[in-house]
Amino acid sequence: MRTLLYGPSHGHAIAKHIQRVSENALQIETGSLYPALHKLEGRGWIAAEWKKSDKGKRARYYRLTPAGRERLTAQQSRWEALSVAMARVLRPAE
Amino acid sequence: MWRQAYLRLRSLFRRHRQENELDEEIRFHLVNETEELMAAGMSPEEARAAAQRDFGNVPLIRELTRETWGWGAAERLCQDARSAGRMMRRNPGYTCAVVVTLALGIGLNAAMYGLLSRLFLQAPPHIQDPDGVHRVYVRQLSSFNGQISTANRMEWSEFTALRADNARFAAVAGATNPRPMPYGRGQAAENLHVSWVTGEFFALLGVRPELGRLIGPEDDALAATPVAVIGDGYARRRFGRVPEALGATVGFNDVTYVIVGVLPPGFSGPDPSAADVWLPLRIAAPASHGDDWGRVLGGFSLMPFVRLAPGVTTQAAGATATAAVRAARADSPFPEDVHDREATALLGPLLRTRGPSEIAGDLRLSLIVGGVSLVVLLVAAANVTNLLLLRVTARRRELAVRNALGAGRWAVGRLLVIESVLLAALSGGAALAVAAGAGRVLRVTLLPRYNWAGGPVDIPVMAFTGAAVLLVGLAAALAPALYAARARGLDRLDGLRGVRAGSPVRNGLIVVQAALSIVLLVGGALFLRSFEAARRVDIGYAKENLLTVYLAVGGLRSRTPLDETAVQTMETRVRAMPGVVEVAQATSTPLSSRMVIPLRVDELDDLPFGEGPYVSFVTPGFLQVAGLGIRDGRGFAEGDRAGAPRVAVVNTAFARQTWPGNRAIGRCLFVGRDAAPCATVVGVVETPLERGLGGGPTASQSGRGPSSDAADIPQYYLPLAQAASDAATSGTALSQRTLVVRTHGNPERMVRPVLLALAEVFPDLPRRNVQSLPAALAPQLRTWRIGTALFGAAALLALLLAAVGLYAVVAFGVRQREVEFGIRRALGAQSWHLMRLVMARGVGIVGVGVAAGALAALSAGRFVAPLLFEGRSPRDPVAFAAAALVLLAVALAASFLPARRAALADPRQALQAE
Repeated sequence: MRTLLYGPSHGHAIAKHIQRVSENALQIETGSLYPALHKLEGRGWIAAEWKKSDKGKRARYYRLTPAGRERLTAQQSRWEALSVAMARVLRPAE
Repeated sequence: MWRQAYLRLRSLFRRHRQENELDEEIRFHLVNETEELMAAGMSPEEARAAAQRDFGNVPLIRELTRETWGWGAAERLCQDARSAGRMMRRNPGYTCAVVVTLALGIGLNAAMYGLLSRLFLQAPPHIQDPDGVHRVYVRQLSSFNGQISTANRMEWSEFTALRADNARFAAVAGATNPRPMPYGRGQAAENLHVSWVTGEFFALLGVRPELGRLIGPEDDALAATPVAVIGDGYARRRFGRVPEALGATVGFNDVTYVIVGVLPPGFSGPDPSAADVWLPLRIAAPASHGDDWGRVLGGFSLMPFVRLAPGVTTQAAGATATAAVRAARADSPFPEDVHDREATALLGPLLRTRGPSEIAGDLRLSLIVGGVSLVVLLVAAANVTNLLLLRVTARRRELAVRNALGAGRWAVGRLLVIESVLLAALSGGAALAVAAGAGRVLRVTLLPRYNWAGGPVDIPVMAFTGAAVLLVGLAAALAPALYAARARGLDRLDGLRGVRAGSPVRNGLIVVQAALSIVLLVGGALFLRSFEAARRVDIGYAKENLLTVYLAVGGLRSRTPLDETAVQTMETRVRAMPGVVEVAQATSTPLSSRMVIPLRVDELDDLPFGEGPYVSFVTPGFLQVAGLGIRDGRGFAEGDRAGAPRVAVVNTAFARQTWPGNRAIGRCLFVGRDAAPCATVVGVVETPLERGLGGGPTASQSGRGPSSDAADIPQYYLPLAQAASDAATSGTALSQRTLVVRTHGNPERMVRPVLLALAEVFPDLPRRNVQSLPAALAPQLRTWRIGTALFGAAALLALLLAAVGLYAVVAFGVRQREVEFGIRRALGAQSWHLMRLVMARGVGIVGVGVAAGALAALSAGRFVAPLLFEGRSPRDPVAFAAAALVLLAVALAASFLPARRAALADPRQALQAE
């Protein structure tokens, strides 16, 4: 979802972005992105529309809705809190 | 929230478009990816493959995405239902087998349930507060067979004693069981079922008339104007429109009754057997039984009904009733041993089937049929389970594919359950149709005299069907669903090879089916044996070839002399008919002799007879025509005419009881009152079973077989020519006459021509006066015939189901072992060897079932025992052997076809397949 903070994007671009950002650490099948996207759309956190892609083909562009933005912020802070906590727990063992 | 609902709704309507869009989206992704990879230097093929690999399983992704669109559960259900429907359409044979099996099993049970719930659960209609009405039963030692029995009737004197106690009873009423009485003349004559009731009867039941008024206490008096109340059915039958019945008349025993009221439709009184006409007892009884009607032993008895006074318990009321019955019996003018003076009375519910008296005859048969239909349902359920199991096994590959494509254990199980439920629902609809048809047939065959208000499918029957469908559908689906849930994973994808041939569950189900079939077959065989035995009984008369034509116009009580010229004309015309061997006249109709006239025998003051002796005045040819064999002396001759020495012929029962150990020939019978002349006994003939086979199974239940003394009725015969000249006997002899006709072949064929002649010579006589002996005996064979038919039909059904089940299991086993058989053949096994292998397996499974079924039948035998002819044993080895043979033969036949397939297994093909 965070990918969409920078503006609307289509599925393939999102997949590429995730691969890049995670530095291929997340070895998931890119296809499994779509169920997730549709789920988010169903919950109203992202919206989709058909647009011409930069190469002139029709593509489905997803963008973050206000509700999604809110949710993302909340999740992100929770996740960060969790990673901080995890980091603290793990550090003494190092 | 709203948006979510909107999206879901939209997704429902735009389903198709959405799917297309998803496809396009995925395509776009792949194309983009491919292009990027190509740009990175891959060849187009490599790029496409890599893109695919990277993306993953396209259909699965598509499926998962679709699931996120919502409507998951409902949609899955629809999808499963669609898939199930597809499956059913694709396998019409399988679907048909399951639906027909379930429909027959459930429909038959629903019909039986409807019938039994009417008999045992529901109070008769139109009775107010039916729980407040009690019957009074009398438990007593029978002087007849020395057994304790419980009767729901009492004699008039006992009833009046009961009614005299006003303190404990709020109301006491009595009614006779409806019995057929002839009404009308000539072609219009019919038997109406008539019940005599006391004046309180209708008030006690609280029934309201449909029209007019009912019989009240003021009508139930000898001096009252005779009135009658009729049932709705009879009113419609006779008058077409019910209101026209009021003011019309009915006549019985020379009394004319004015119809004052019509009962509501469906009312049949306290019992479900319908009466057509209700008459006031105090007018009808004397007209039928004479002025001393209340004091005649065995004259008639009536069923007492009471409502208790407030606060009185049934025990207290029972004690009062006991005292009343004993007091009445203490005053009885009859010898002490006639009635048990220590009898006890007890109160029972209105529904006689729930009362303390034994359930006999038709009701017992109904209960047994209920049990039989339950067995059929079990067989059907076992069969359906087996079919479903086989189906699942055959679909392992499909299910495994579904599994591999991501359908979880639950999804597969759900699909199977939905398939079963869909099948069950379809069967439920068919079952209702079966229930309607079967209900009608069962009502008519089992309890023809009952007044069934409403159709056979009512709300309880529908509820029963629904519950049965759910229960059986789910139960039958459970095993296959569990089984399928186990078969998961790609390891099953390699197919059927190497799967074990038999499954204990499937074989177990076949064993159960075989066992239940054996129970039904044994039942059918037992009834068939009883039926055959009863039919073969030599009743003395030439029952296969006799026709009787009863000619007396006024019935048995008539004292009006017959028109002898007309009798002569009739005899001549019948004798001239083709197909008639000989005709004789008698004053008693074979099988229904009841004529008693004063008789004195020298040696004895009081004749030692129980029933009889009955007399018949006959023409010389009678004994020969009737088929009564002469055991001693001679029969009658033309010379035994008026003026010649008086002669008589007695039957063996008469001779044995009157002159035990001595020869009857030469003895004197003094027939008539006072100074009767001696009629010398010149011959002894065999004793016919004058009551046929007795009262059917009810009689044999109480220990009265036709061969026991009770059926050994003493009779004697006198020449009609000599009676005519004798003032003492001529009145009786000349007012009664029956033509006894001996025919070639079936006497039933002669009924029509004789009726035509009768209509010309005696236009007033009812049609039913002409009867063949087979027709007269048929009602006595009814229980066994119905029992045979019902058990036979049920057994046939069960056999068919078991055969189909066995065939399916064996055939399936063969298909799975085809490779093995091929190898065996390749190694030199002969085809008969392989066939033996397969068939031994099928017959072996069934053999276990036969043994189990035989044990079950042995223990279930006591339920049918009272219905078998002359107390025949329900452990008849012939019946058991026959049942086992039939089932094993069916098992052989069912496994023959698959066995042949096994024998023809092609070794090359088998080995190639591996």
